[in-house]
Amino acid sequence: MGRYVLRRLASAVVTLWVLATIVFLMVNVIPGNVGRSVLGPFALKEDVARYNHQIGTDRPLISQYFTSIRRVFTLDFGDSYKSQSAVTKIIFPALFRSGKLALLAFIITIPISIAAGIFAARRQDKVTDRVVVNAGLATSSIPDFVTAAVLMSFFCVHWKLGHVFADPPSGTSVVGQLPYLLTPALALVVAYFGYIARMSRAGVINGLQADYARTATMKGLSKGAVMRKHILRNALAPTITVISVQIGYLFGGIVGVEKVFNYHGLGSTMLSAVTSHDIPVLQGAVLLVGIIYMVSTLLADVFIAFLNPRVRLETSR
Amino acid sequence: MSDSEEFVPQPAEIVSTPGADVYMPNTTISGTAVPPNTPAEIELSGAVQVSERQQARRENWRLIRRRPAFIVGVFIVLVWTVCAVLGDRITPHSPLDFRVAGNGQHLSPRASYPFGTDEQGRDVLSRVMAGARDVLKVAPLAALLGVFFGVILGMVMGYFGRWIDNVLGRIVEAFLALPVILLALLAVSTLGHSPTVVIGVVAALFTPVVARTVRSAVLAERDLDYVTSAKLRGESSAFVMFREILPNVSGPIIVELTVRIGYAVFTVATLSFLGAGPQPPSPDWGAQVSEGFRNISADIWWTTFFPAAAIASLVIAANLIADSVQSVLEAS
Amino acid sequence: MMDYRLFDNVRRQASPVEVELVEAFAQGKISRRAFVARGSMIGLGAPLIGAILAACGSDKKTTTPATSGTTAPGGTTAPGGTTAPGGTTAPSSGSIKQGGTLRIVAQTPAGPLDPVAMADLGTYCPVTTCFEYLVDALGGDVKPMLAETWKPNADGSVWTFNLRKGVKWHDGTPFTSADVVATMDRLAGSNLKASIAAGSTKAIDDFTVEITLLSPDGQFPQQVGAYNPQSVITPKDFVLGTTLDKRMTGTGAFKMTKYDAATGATFEANPDWWGGKPYLDKLEYSFSEDLATLVSGLQGGAADAITQFSVIGGDALFNDSNIVVQSIRGAAHREIWMNCREGDFTDKRVRQAVALGIDRQALLDTLLKGKADIANDHPIAPIYPFFDATQPQRVRDVDKAKQLLSDAGKAGLAATMYFPNLQEIPQLAQILQSQLKDIGMNVTLSQEAVVDGEEWCKVYDSKVEPAGCDGGKDFGIVDYGLRGVPDVYLVKAYATGEWNSAHYISEPFRAAVKAYQSSLDLDGQKAAIKDIQKIANEDVPYAIPYFYNILFATAKNVTGIVATGLGHFYCGKAGFTA
Repeated sequence: MGRYVLRRLASAVVTLWVLATIVFLMVNVIPGNVGRSVLGPFALKEDVARYNHQIGTDRPLISQYFTSIRRVFTLDFGDSYKSQSAVTKIIFPALFRSGKLALLAFIITIPISIAAGIFAARRQDKVTDRVVVNAGLATSSIPDFVTAAVLMSFFCVHWKLGHVFADPPSGTSVVGQLPYLLTPALALVVAYFGYIARMSRAGVINGLQADYARTATMKGLSKGAVMRKHILRNALAPTITVISVQIGYLFGGIVGVEKVFNYHGLGSTMLSAVTSHDIPVLQGAVLLVGIIYMVSTLLADVFIAFLNPRVRLETSR
Repeated sequence: MSDSEEFVPQPAEIVSTPGADVYMPNTTISGTAVPPNTPAEIELSGAVQVSERQQARRENWRLIRRRPAFIVGVFIVLVWTVCAVLGDRITPHSPLDFRVAGNGQHLSPRASYPFGTDEQGRDVLSRVMAGARDVLKVAPLAALLGVFFGVILGMVMGYFGRWIDNVLGRIVEAFLALPVILLALLAVSTLGHSPTVVIGVVAALFTPVVARTVRSAVLAERDLDYVTSAKLRGESSAFVMFREILPNVSGPIIVELTVRIGYAVFTVATLSFLGAGPQPPSPDWGAQVSEGFRNISADIWWTTFFPAAAIASLVIAANLIADSVQSVLEAS
Repeated sequence: MMDYRLFDNVRRQASPVEVELVEAFAQGKISRRAFVARGSMIGLGAPLIGAILAACGSDKKTTTPATSGTTAPGGTTAPGGTTAPGGTTAPSSGSIKQGGTLRIVAQTPAGPLDPVAMADLGTYCPVTTCFEYLVDALGGDVKPMLAETWKPNADGSVWTFNLRKGVKWHDGTPFTSADVVATMDRLAGSNLKASIAAGSTKAIDDFTVEITLLSPDGQFPQQVGAYNPQSVITPKDFVLGTTLDKRMTGTGAFKMTKYDAATGATFEANPDWWGGKPYLDKLEYSFSEDLATLVSGLQGGAADAITQFSVIGGDALFNDSNIVVQSIRGAAHREIWMNCREGDFTDKRVRQAVALGIDRQALLDTLLKGKADIANDHPIAPIYPFFDATQPQRVRDVDKAKQLLSDAGKAGLAATMYFPNLQEIPQLAQILQSQLKDIGMNVTLSQEAVVDGEEWCKVYDSKVEPAGCDGGKDFGIVDYGLRGVPDVYLVKAYATGEWNSAHYISEPFRAAVKAYQSSLDLDGQKAAIKDIQKIANEDVPYAIPYFYNILFATAKNVTGIVATGLGHFYCGKAGFTA
């Protein structure tokens, strides 16, 4: 087990380095003069040159690359061009906010979806099964920003049940923050329910097919207990897989939902960094999202390996 | 039947959802292998295999055609394709016609304007119909390109293995960690708002996803007898990959393609919602939702609802088709 | 009956400028309204003005007080006032409660809160909540703010300001002339470099400052008033690059306690404010870059006020009975620039064709629902007292436009229009595209996130005329906020400033601007403005279709807010009604 973890860790570090290189290449391919972007079009050429020299963009690309990689591993992302404060001061609070929302969304979605998946799997191909599957299919196909807009307009504006701006005022207790985060979390629930339900349904179906063969040879063990134990395990594995992959998306991809609720998570931070060409913030945020994705898939792999010894033993080819 | 892999999700269904980029035999590149699909095929030699395969395919196709989900999906796609092709020739009003006199703005749905009018007085039904073109111009092509390159990449990784797989695998994983929408936005804001840029970026970011799927499928095949016999015959690697293995993994690839199309529609719509789509006054669906959304709190729901429903319908259609194909392939 | 004794006194003691003004009023050459405005501008104290007005009895020829909808930049707030450029929410019946937190939604500041370098409405708002100006040139005549009195010398080239005593910075240190001198010196290198030079501000004593101008300017107080946002007075330890969020201080009614560009800002009441203790305890700002989000915030009850919005997208607010919309008529407008130096628009006929192709009334009806004044391709708004109403209004003439285009050899011209995603500008661009199609022009639209100068100032070389900007796009739309006087537009956009997106150089125009700036009386201004209007309309480097009203809105129970079209949102006297 330990060897497997170490191996995965090593490959994750390599991937991180590759990721940092890709990000570096991307942002340096963006046309434009950094000094000019920051100081504006009306600044004098000498001032622009001085600024460029000061922040080091006139150094050769290779030396900038090494500095950039070194800084990634020390989590030093420099200063924002737009607001001149440290990038970490901008992206970590945003990260925290995204995390809160993701956590709430998962807390609601996972139990419901797994339950629905198991429920549907046990009634495979009957009417209820088809209903669950197709409902899930339909709701997951609606773009997340649409669900968010509809929920916002009905729950928050019309019926005044939720808050139009999902950012709770500073100092609200954890419990007090729930009403604020609930509506955007619901939008995410609608989007992910279908997917997770179908995934866990698939896992359970697989498991059931095996279990019937197996339990036929088992005597003395309560069929129900065996089934329950196995069913949950079967439902869980694909769910973990899905969640680990989706986590990266939840931190960087739900820009639409964040925009609708004026929620300043990592997605909307990246969005404003893109529109204002604020390279350090963009670089830092993209790397952060990448790191989160890699960590979550690493953890998921380790957990699954823990559950299934066969995974650990196979070497990656 | 062997003891099934409990923890290798053999999904009975695949679905495009936000961020869904996984047809999942495995979680990651360094995951587990997939049991073979059709034991029957593996036992046979090459020549016999071909005709059996063709027959199996025809049979599958017949089965797929008859599934209701497939029919519904294809029907929806056809409707939008017709709208895209014929464009403003069949729309009841011009999608770009302004009612400049100040009345005619934000009319609720009625007989003359079944979907109502927007804030500049344009007929929403016409704009939704015309908007099909913008989506169908970009999404299928992006998906196709992504699958094309993904297949090549996945083949190479799965077949050659060893260090090629490791090196490429790290690069693929790194790309998978990048946020698609933000990068597409970045590309558009620096390279311009052309559909080519969007297609290019989306295809580039789909390639690693497809590659991963193809790789796992290839991993399952490459130790099988027909591959070994082809190698013994002296065939080149390219031949083995694309003439021998590829047909056997075509099932998952087709499914992946349809899933990718759904996801491409999704991504493209979100991009134009965020302002990276075609320029105004284009009737692009995502742009329409973005324009209409600011009036939702004034009870003007139709300018948002109908384009959004259009987007959803196309994604659902893609998923229904993918679902049908997958079910049939699975069962066979 | 006129009191000649009073006039004699004035003549003997006052400066030539003051005497000239009083004479003009006495002889009926200027209206009562204009006299008050000009008088306060040149520092005639209110008591004196009042005395003179009283001395001239009812046989004076006066203009009727502003009817609702026609106020000069020195316009007073009518009761239930909704139309002064310094629009206020009228105190409704019932008194104002002490206490409370006002939640405001506003445009995200586009950059650091640097008082000298800021250039967008989003940044003006928080900065001007903390910092103040020498004079208050808002809803009314030029009123004292950090300066109590001021007067010019004989020709208006040296201005002396007497500062208010007892004002403290938010950290407790006293406000003195040293702060003003430091501020002026910093501005001399940037924002006010056309008016003063570094070192030309002298502190006569702790509370008196003397500013020597580079050339006479009868309107100088406007340059240190609210309509020049960068002229806020900052403490003497501020240098170029110091920002408010790093060093939270100021003299205003509220002090900043928290700032995060992404989420918002918090301000607490300054109990020692020279204007009196504010009613409100706190201001909570939420920022967003998206107008729809702001509007839904106010409508959904997440906020009590919105600093600015536009007709497009604001429909919800107009029809909501819980929300009060305030409309400020003024000089805010959009300029459709056309490159006069190179490209397809260098020929004046092409530009005139574009101007003739625009259907202004349609824009007013569709885009602005009437909440605007029609404009005539120059930046002089009807609210200015020197506006020349005799100039014929340009109206749409498709045939003439087509003729001009083909005369210039540009029939069927294809061009790309660049514009920001700001308020109603995207819709304006779309409508223009379809209107210009009628004259044979083929316009492609290109929407940017913001238009911040890079579009016309791609390469900056200080030696290139005008203002060192070169390269860039030929055709686009840019926004201009409300100003109390048009000097900023005239200098920065039309003459030598870096906002001259059309790269327009015209000696007769510059001469007219100089004449306008150096005239100290209304007649001189009127004559110069008449020229300015004529040349601008003829050369049309910018097609200007309308002056739009500034809209802001509050919940029904909020009152006392003073807002301008330039990002200010003064809450010093604001509060919740009981």
